[in-house]
Formats: sequence, C-alpha cells, structure tokens
Amino acid sequence: MTKSDDEIPKLSKSLCLRMLTDLENAKRPVLEAVKCSLDNSLYSPKVGYLTPGDKMVRTELNVASVQKMSRAIFLLEILLRNLDTGAVNTKRELYYIAKGEVKHDPSLKPLDFQDQTESDSVIDFICEMLECYREDLNCYANDRGGQTYSNCLIVTEALPDGGKAVVDLSSLGTSPFQPKNRPQSLTLKAKKKIDFCLVVESEGTANTFVTNGFCKRNNSILLGAQGVPSNAVRGWCKLIQDQLKIPIYFFGDLDAYTMQNIYRTLKAGSAASLIRNSDFSAPDVRFLGVLPEDIKRYDLNDYPVKESDPSEARSLKKASDALKNDPFFKDKKNRGVVKILEWLLKNKRRCEQQSFFTVAPRDPIMPEKIILEKIKRGDFV
Amino acid sequence: MARQKITTSSTAEYFSKNLQQVGFSSPTKAVLTTLKEAVDNSLDACEDAKILPDLYIEIKKAGAGTIKNTDLIKIIVEDNGPGLEPDEVPKVFGEYLASSKFGRGRCSRGQQGIGISAATTWAQLTSAKGVQVITKTPKMKQAFSCLVLVDIKNNKGIIKDKKPVQWDRPSGVRVEFLIDGRLQLQGEGGLLTYLMGTSLVNPHLTLKFKILDQAVQKVERVTQECPHVPDATEPHPHTMKLGEFIGHSHLFGKSTAATWLKRGFSRISSKALEDFVKNGLNKKLLEVTVDKLTDAQFKEIFAAIHKTELMAPTTRSVMTIGEEAFSQSIRRLGEVDFFAVLTRRPTICDFKPVAVEVAIARLKSGAVNVGELNANEETSVQVLRFANRVPLQFDKSACAMVKAIETVNWRTYGIVQPKGSLPQGPYVIAVSLVSPFIKFKNASKETVDASDELVEEIRRALIQAGQRLSRHIRQENRAADLEEKMRHIEQFCPILVDCLCRITQAPESRKKKATEGLVKLLGRDVNVAKLQLQEATQEAKKAKAAGKLQVVDDESLADVEADDSAPKTIAKKSAKVKTDEKIA
Repeated sequence: MTKSDDEIPKLSKSLCLRMLTDLENAKRPVLEAVKCSLDNSLYSPKVGYLTPGDKMVRTELNVASVQKMSRAIFLLEILLRNLDTGAVNTKRELYYIAKGEVKHDPSLKPLDFQDQTESDSVIDFICEMLECYREDLNCYANDRGGQTYSNCLIVTEALPDGGKAVVDLSSLGTSPFQPKNRPQSLTLKAKKKIDFCLVVESEGTANTFVTNGFCKRNNSILLGAQGVPSNAVRGWCKLIQDQLKIPIYFFGDLDAYTMQNIYRTLKAGSAASLIRNSDFSAPDVRFLGVLPEDIKRYDLNDYPVKESDPSEARSLKKASDALKNDPFFKDKKNRGVVKILEWLLKNKRRCEQQSFFTVAPRDPIMPEKIILEKIKRGDFV
Repeated sequence: MARQKITTSSTAEYFSKNLQQVGFSSPTKAVLTTLKEAVDNSLDACEDAKILPDLYIEIKKAGAGTIKNTDLIKIIVEDNGPGLEPDEVPKVFGEYLASSKFGRGRCSRGQQGIGISAATTWAQLTSAKGVQVITKTPKMKQAFSCLVLVDIKNNKGIIKDKKPVQWDRPSGVRVEFLIDGRLQLQGEGGLLTYLMGTSLVNPHLTLKFKILDQAVQKVERVTQECPHVPDATEPHPHTMKLGEFIGHSHLFGKSTAATWLKRGFSRISSKALEDFVKNGLNKKLLEVTVDKLTDAQFKEIFAAIHKTELMAPTTRSVMTIGEEAFSQSIRRLGEVDFFAVLTRRPTICDFKPVAVEVAIARLKSGAVNVGELNANEETSVQVLRFANRVPLQFDKSACAMVKAIETVNWRTYGIVQPKGSLPQGPYVIAVSLVSPFIKFKNASKETVDASDELVEEIRRALIQAGQRLSRHIRQENRAADLEEKMRHIEQFCPILVDCLCRITQAPESRKKKATEGLVKLLGRDVNVAKLQLQEATQEAKKAKAAGKLQVVDDESLADVEADDSAPKTIAKKSAKVKTDEKIA
C-alpha cells in the first residue's frame, strides 16, 4: 500500500478542502482513520498477515477535539513541505521543528507540544488518516537491526536524486549491509542460486556465524534481527521473500516473548501497524527453532520461567491472551506455533538460541551444523 | 532447674521500665505525650466543672538533655479549671491507675490514670526532677505549690517543697515538667499539628501558646457553650466476660439477682428477665440475693443472658461536637477555601456506642495550615484523627480512620486519588471518633483498632461529607471546563482555519466564512457547558442553603444567572485558583 510521492499531497489537499467546506457550512468536519488494534485485526492464511477490519476511529470537530485537529493539520503542513523539498526527518526532529515553528510564531503557542509522545501520536494519527507509512511522509525511524551478510546477493538502491547505488554484499567481508526502512527503493539480485535466508534473533550470534564462515560455506543470506524486528527488518525480509523467492528461516529463543513479539511480527506484522503489514511482513518465514523437541534431542540447557520476574510473568500472560484473542494464533494454519506456545505455558521453561553451543563446546560451528541438519530434515514449524 | 525467688513489682515499677508502651518511645514523642497528657487533664477538669477552658502552654529549651542528642525541655501547661485539693495532687501526678474515670464508661479524654503519672516518671528518670505543680481551688485563699515525684517501689506520689504561693486567678492548675526530649514542631507528629488539632475538636477552648522564641499565639474559642459530657450508662451484659460479670455483682451484695440485673445493667427489663427464664434460667435464682449465688449459678444466669437477644446498648453516653461548632472551629485551621462537616447519629459498632464526625476542608493554595504541612496537588491530603477529642498523631497506617478514608472512592467527588491510597490535594480530612469504649491498638492510644463495623461507619460519614463537598468541586470543574472551551475557541479556531487555507491555497473570502462557521459550531458546545455550569451552581447553592456546604470566600456562589457574562466571572475565579495551584 505504499503511496507515491505525489499521491500524499493530493490526498492531503483533498482532505483539507473537505474540512474547509464543512466549516464554511458550519458542519462538523470528521476525520476518519483505520482503527489499529487487535480487536480490528483480521487474519487469513491466504493473505498471510494481519489486515484491518471495518472499525474506524472517528474524530469529529468539537471544542474538545479542536486542539488535536489543529495540531494534525499543523504537522501535516510541515510534512507536506518536507515532501515538496525532499527533506527527511525523524520523529524527534519533527518534534523540535514543530517547537521551532511555535517559537518563531507566538500565535501558534497553543499548539506547542509538551513532549515528544504528543507529537508522535499526531504523526501516527496523520498516517492512519492518509493510510500511508510515515516513511511515505519522509519521516524515518532509526534503521535498527537487519545487518545482512551474503556471498551471493547484490542490492541496487534507487537514490532520491535519481541515481543508483549497487552494493555487492560479497565484497563487504565481515561488514554487514544495513537495509533501509523504505524497501521500495531496493532491488535484489542473486549472483548465484541462494538456498535459504536465515534470520537470527540475536545480532551477536549472527555475527559469530559470519565470522566462523557461515556465509562462505553456504549459499545463503544471513541477517540479525536484533530483537523485535524494526520496520527496516520487516520490509527487508518481505523484499527477500518477494524478489528472491527463497525459503526464510527464523532462528531464535524458545520463549513466549520471541514467539509472540518477534516471530509473529516478522511473519504477520502487528496490530499497531495494520495499514502497513502488507509491505512489512514476510508470511513465508518459518520458525526453525529452538523447538521444544530440540531440548531433548540435543540435550540443551533450559531454564524455568521465573514468574516472580514481572517481565516474564507479563510475557506469559500476554501469550495466554494471544491464544485467546490474536487472530494469527487462532488460525488453524498456525497450529504448529500455537503448540509451541501451549508447551511454553504448560511447562513454563525457556531455552535460548545460544544453548546450541553446549552440544559440542569445542566445535565452534556445531550450531551451524545443527541448523543445516534441521533445514535438511524439515525440522521447523 | 534452679529454684529462683519470685518477686512482685508495683504498677509504677512496671510502667517505669516500659514507658515506651505509653507514648514515651522516643525523645520526640516524650515531649508530645507529656504535653498531651497535661492538656487532656486540664480539658477534662474544666468540662467536668462546666468551665470554659482557657489554656496557656509554654514550651522552651532549658539546656542540654542527659540523653544523647536531646535537649532539656520545659513544658508548662496552665488552666483555669476547678483546681485540685492539695491531698489529691500526689495521687493525680504520682500514682498510677489513680483516676476518677477508670472504667466509668464516659467519653472523657483520660481513662485509666496512667498518662500524667508516666509523664512525671519520665521527668524524674531523665532530669531527676518530677513535676512542679501549683493548684488553687475556688475555696483556697492562696495557691498550693509543690514538687511531685513518683515512689516507684510503692506506686505512690511523693510531695516535696510544699509552700503556699500567691496566684492571681480564682482557680486552676499549673504544671511544669522539665524533661529530656526533642522538639518537632511541624509535620504529622509535630507540636503545632497537635495544638491546632486540639483547638479544632474543642471549639469552646481558648488556647494561648508560646513555643521557643516565637511570640505568644492565641486561638480564640468559637463557641461559648461548654460541652456536656453525658453521664456513663450501666454496662451492657453482652459486652462482659463471666469474671467481670461476677465481679460486677459485688456492688449489689444484698440485692436479689433480679434487682441486680435490672439496676446494674442497661437493656435488662422485666420482659428481658422473662426471656432469660424462657431460655432455660431457673426462675428461683432471680429471687436469691446476689451474695448467696454460687459460681455455678452465676454461670447459669450468664449463659441465659447470652442466649437471649437484648436491645443494643444505648447511645446516650456518646457526645458529639455538633456540625455548627465544628464548622466554626474548622475556620481556625488556616485559610480554608471551602469545607463540609458531618455529624453522624450515634450508633453501635462492635456492641459499643460510637459517634463519628467528619470535616473535609480545602485549604487555599499557599495557605499556612495545620502544622504548616506542605499541602499541594501532588501530596496526600492531611489526615487529622481524633479519639474522644484527642489528636492521634502516630502509627497512622493501621488506624480505622485512615483505612476508612482509603476505601472511599474520592475520584467520584472530584478529588484525585491513586488506587487504594489516601486522596491527594490541598485538603484536610478530620475524623473524630467519640465513644466511652474506644478500642485502641496500644496503651499509648495512638491508633484505633480497625474493626469492619467501625471502618464502615466512618466510611459512611466520609462518603456523606464527600458528597456535600463534591457539589462545590463539581461547580468549579464545570466553570473550568467552560473556560477551557471558550479558550479553545479563541486559540485554535484561527490556527486551524489558517493552516487549512494555506494547504488548500484558499482565498481570503473562504477563510472568513470558514472562521465564522467554526465559531458557530463550537459555540454550540459552549452553550451546553454553560447549561451544565448553571445546573452545578444551583446544586451548590442548594447545598449551601441547607447548611451542608460552607464556602468561606463565597464569591463563586454569587448570583449566576443564565446570561453570557456570568460564567466568565466564575471562570475567572476558578482560573485564578488553578493558576495559584500551579504556582504552589
């Protein structure tokens, strides 16, 4: 649903015109945005990611909402100016730009933001209203995670000035390629047949694999997710899936947080980003492990979940809620993932991805061997 | 096991070794407890003699204390009460459990006759001096001065330095303690909080005090009526244990059991005696004289009484301050913005008569208030607790009154409250509990036991007072709401229309039309807010007219009519309050 650069100004102008006409007629203007929450999320295995339902958030102009609407139109004007000039900003920078505008024009004082969360929520509201990504409004997030290594991949980036940059990942040695969170500007090409892509939850472990020669021995793409995948990682995986059509495996910890917050988000997107899951989720990604049966098969060290730890207790509670309410986990197609979650809730144990290093402590590439063995055997969900 | 000699100790010996049990657990508490005991005695004496109390209190440092990190503190309390006869002085100040009130079931401040003797003991133990007393009754031409010490071995008061002195007042008592202690003036356990609390629940008291080098301060009485402390009523048999029951009979030696039961207890009538018989009591026993009854027979009577339903104890022995006097008194707390007081009808809790009174006041921002505590929007409200008109200042969390405050949902009344905690804001919540049988959690009488029935009774009083108060708060909120809406129209309309016109590149004519349309639209919302304010104002007016709510600086209830200008007046005032609160 990525919108082209000229589409956003057109949409915005038409929205403002509608509001102005309503005001002229003393009619209350209404702003509508998709409701981005779990109760408005739908999941179909054919689509593969969470999509929005019919629910909308309606904001009608009244004395209580006039501040929110004024702020939205004020920030929209700044964002449109950015689109016009090609300038880009982060949310933090936009917060300061807005404060600067107020500083230089005292009549705007009532719009002043007390902290960044206020301006952030207005930016999110604008995106939901225009049904676009904030990147479409030239508002970029920090490109966290997604450091990619491969001996077979060439990336071509279309630059804002019309030029092109070509990056051959095999020439980068052990340095990674960092994907941007505007995937539509990237084109991928395989130098030779790529067998699979491995997404590792821990960036440190991904580094270890590369340094130990994973990419030399395997025609693969290896990337580190660095925890909950950012837009950049999500968009990048989607791109690999669509353009290279290779199997993608996710290798991470066996715990409720990983299953629900990391793997689900990578595979099907999130409820908070319903309007952009189509471009920021990779439905073909498979969960390679650590699987519950791996603990026994490889005699891995696992740990009891400490329910006294608030974050772990919260995670378990969220997981049990997800089984009841999350359309992704409620779908029969994802029965395998559900079984893992149920196992975690029942046994209250967790096992980390690094536990593969206990199998043969003196063999640095043993985890790689296990991973390859699992792929070969089809031992994934 | 080696055979050891068993010895006995006197009451005084016990308390002298366990003074922490009666409020002398730290040098700071020692000062407050000494003052409290002296003031309690003075006020009780004045009330018994129907004299409006005039108290003078002086507290000063007289050097370094003998205990580490303490000062030698001189505490003087002087009253205009009936005075004590010289032979009563050693008993009152030097003998434990010598009391005119012990077990009488009256709502007096002092009950057992421990407190003031404990203060003398503390003075004796720390400064090697007892208490210097001057007393004069109306019959005496000259006052009597002496030093009282406690004979700890024998629990007797000893008098030294007896002499007649001239004293220019008809009657009264003056006590002077010299003790080791530490002075805490402010805060919940502070002396100022104690003094202001005492004056709050004693509207008939004129209090003059001089603390350290500060000038003498005077708190005038606000009522000329001396409270009548109801006489004690006979005990209710259901509140007694068997041993007490038998002990009680000794006062009626030659009377028949029927006479003893009818005269010696409350709620036992001829009908009740018949019911005892129906419940298995041998009728003949009622005709036996009490001194002839055997233990087994006492037990039989006792069992029959407990099997029989009796009327709950009478509430006649309970007194209240009264809403009018309480309202007058609360103004003495500091600069009060508005307040509500409530006196519940005396009731029975845990089979004991009790009366609960509540006052909730909002202090003006920046006002000097009780104990000079820092009252603002973010701190918890100040809670003033009183048991039989004595301030309770320690061990707040376990007290029935605090528990009751925490269980009320104050958000309903427009007061901020974190979940399950005390509410927040510049409010004072005063809860006064009066009962001849208050169940304290400790001998130092710092905390009232939180039984479910008592907490519920206090809670009801708080809810009623909260409802009264909320009428004014609601009116203020509505006024603030209206003001905010009007401000929003003024501030945001031009900005919104300007931005829309810039983005759409609309001409000036459209801008003008859109502005007019927007003002018209939002004006409708403002009209709704105006109506709501009028309703809230009417409600507050009604509450005030019914005497349920008092607004000290009553500008806000000035005639608010349905015209456009009126809400602005109120809005202006509430805006001022808001601004002041922000500054605070």
